[in-house]
Amino acid sequence: MMRPRTLSLRARLVGMLGLLFLFGTIALLIAAREYGRLAADKSYDRLLAGSALSIAETLSIDNSAIQVDLPYAALDMLSAAPDDRVFYRVYGPDAGTITGYEDLPNWQPPSRRDRGLAFEGPRFFDAQYRGESVRFAVLGREIAEPDLQGWVWVQVGQTRRARDELAQELVLGAVAPIVLMTLLAMAVVIFGISRALRPLQNVGEDLSMRQPEDLRPVVEPVPREIAPLIDAINGFMRRLSLSIESLRAFIGEAAHQMRTPLASLRAQAHLAADDDAEGQRRSLAAVERNAARLSRLLDQLLSDATVMHRSDVRVFESIDLVALIHEAINEGVSHSRKGDVCVSSEADQAPFVGDALLLGEALKNLIDNALKYGGEADEPVQVTLQKVADGYCIAVADRGPGIPVSDRERVFQRFARGESGIAGAGLGLAIVQRAVLRHGGEVRLADRHGGGLEVILHLPRRVEGGDT
Amino acid sequence: MRGAWLVSVAWMTAMAWVDASAEIYPAVGARTSLLTIYSTTDTSVFEAAIRDFQKSNPSIAIQYEELEGTVLYRRFLGELARGTPKADLLLSSAMDLQAKLVNDGYAATHDSPSARTLPAWARWRDQAFGFTFEPAVMVFNVDAFVGRALPQTRAELIDLLRRESLTWRGRVGTYDIANSSVGYLLASQDARQSSEFGALIETMGDSHVRVERRTGALLDLLEKGELAIGYNLLGSYAQTRVASGAPLAIVYPRDYTLVVTRTAVLPASAPNLEAAHRLLDYLLSIRGQRTLADEGGLPAIRNEAAGRQSQRRILDAAVGPLRPVVLGPGLLVYLDAQKKRRFLDSWFGAVDQ
Repeated sequence: MMRPRTLSLRARLVGMLGLLFLFGTIALLIAAREYGRLAADKSYDRLLAGSALSIAETLSIDNSAIQVDLPYAALDMLSAAPDDRVFYRVYGPDAGTITGYEDLPNWQPPSRRDRGLAFEGPRFFDAQYRGESVRFAVLGREIAEPDLQGWVWVQVGQTRRARDELAQELVLGAVAPIVLMTLLAMAVVIFGISRALRPLQNVGEDLSMRQPEDLRPVVEPVPREIAPLIDAINGFMRRLSLSIESLRAFIGEAAHQMRTPLASLRAQAHLAADDDAEGQRRSLAAVERNAARLSRLLDQLLSDATVMHRSDVRVFESIDLVALIHEAINEGVSHSRKGDVCVSSEADQAPFVGDALLLGEALKNLIDNALKYGGEADEPVQVTLQKVADGYCIAVADRGPGIPVSDRERVFQRFARGESGIAGAGLGLAIVQRAVLRHGGEVRLADRHGGGLEVILHLPRRVEGGDT
Repeated sequence: MRGAWLVSVAWMTAMAWVDASAEIYPAVGARTSLLTIYSTTDTSVFEAAIRDFQKSNPSIAIQYEELEGTVLYRRFLGELARGTPKADLLLSSAMDLQAKLVNDGYAATHDSPSARTLPAWARWRDQAFGFTFEPAVMVFNVDAFVGRALPQTRAELIDLLRRESLTWRGRVGTYDIANSSVGYLLASQDARQSSEFGALIETMGDSHVRVERRTGALLDLLEKGELAIGYNLLGSYAQTRVASGAPLAIVYPRDYTLVVTRTAVLPASAPNLEAAHRLLDYLLSIRGQRTLADEGGLPAIRNEAAGRQSQRRILDAAVGPLRPVVLGPGLLVYLDAQKKRRFLDSWFGAVDQ
């Protein structure tokens, strides 16, 4: 039988780790990009601020006009970013450009109150200018001359090329080791799982190399996590071994049981061949008796096999125990002895959830036993159905010799008859017990008042979820 | 046939536009495209390089327009603003104006193995490329200095002009920095580098310094003996004169010698960008560098192109430190309107006394 294919442990682990690392790396990349941009801006903003400051230092007023003496260093220092373009502008209180690029993007102080912020140092902002993204610094200086008052602004800008390169370097520096670690971790996982699963593979090889009858426990050393599985396999093999043992014993016993009536059949047939008519009739009667014994044994074996098989599958349904009892009598009791069985029930119907076949077999065997061992008496076999608090009790009573208390444990085993020594296959009560246990009930043997044996089946109602 | 007719009409239209300063170099082979160069370099100096380039690119006709640096800059921007860009390649010794074109986003990016060999100071953003190595030198008329030692530093020059102010009055020359963009570049770099520059300008002013727009004009005057001292001239032109026997002496100022480089910029708006890339690559190649040095007298910036005019020979000749002007955003400072006005005011204030 093919097992349904599932993902390998390695694929699962590697997949999960891979996903984890992937998302981790993406999150990190986003964070690193943000950080890289911030860090690059921070370092280059200082240059930009220095440049704006050095220009602001040269502001002077001459003939009511603002004069700017652009220092060489102001723009030259920005060539620390060698490939970036540089823009500047100085504009006055009336927003007219004093010198520099007239069309630079404006930075407007958000509110009048914020103009005071100019004291705190330059403001920075990004804007598109002449086809490139440009970072600007704006610095304010307040002028308070008798005929000229207000703010003069120095604006210096630089394209972002060097910044972006630096940011990229920072990101790469941060992410590269993580990607490397990820790949290493994946390699370790792949390798580690192969190593960790090696014992399991060894166990598999050990098991597949074995002869079918070899049920010794697996002794391969395995990691602690796998030990329960191996313990379970060993436990299963132990039970399997026991089960096979008992099956062998059963087959041996069954063969033995069948041999005896067969041997006497042959002997009687042999005797009858040479005997006279009277002897032949006796022999035939003996043959008929032995054949009946054999037939009963085979019935019981079949019944046992049925019950064994049914024990493995659950076929519980709503049944009526009264009907079931009548059915069992109909099927299991020969026509001539129908009168020897008497049924008494408090109700006409006894609804119950259970396996009709199992219970039917159990009842047939019980009634058969009762007829066989107690049927000689005048009194018929009494089958009683009684409703009790948690279910039903079915009692089958006869006037036979009964079973001594000392034997009552043993008689439930297969082929173990009571010490009374009456011949019988000894399967009947084992079948009964198996069927009743399957329903969560129990079998009790009792002395019948006034002599004989009473077998009481206690069948509790099934409680929902109380599966056994 | 129809295609050829159209091409000839286009050709005549182009011809009609060309002004007097333009030189046309027809394609050697069947012409397929026209490459227009705006350049500050004398046509005669550059001609050899163009002819050599056309040997390996016979299908390209070249229109070479010689313009002063500021004129070149304004004309390029003006044509662009009118929506009729014509220039495919801008070659200018005004490094600051070229840097500004790059900074303001007008340049196309060029990358080639040759371009990558350039020193860092002669290359910016893969958009501006210096293709010559030209120290700014002092040039003297040797006849005027018979029996006198040539000043080797700015301090010595100041000293000389002060001591014998009457002798040299009217015989000192330099660029008219209001009209010569390379003159302005050199003067502004001097102002930045030297604490003596103010004193030098004042002294030259006292000596009634004569200013000229073009290097050639100054060298003519020096050669004729009308001028005895030329300050901050491009060494390459002077070297050519010396080589042809002019009575001139070249001194690399020992306190420091500025080095500028003719800078190439490919306009992003170039109608024939592909040919411009090719010519730029040629100019930066060893073959191009050697041709410029040997035939045009423009010292090569690449050391591999050793020749009559090479960086190595200049390094050997110069005793003092060489200070290359770095292509980069710093050059924008002296182009600032206020800064430029103030600088010109103080310069001419000192000179026109």
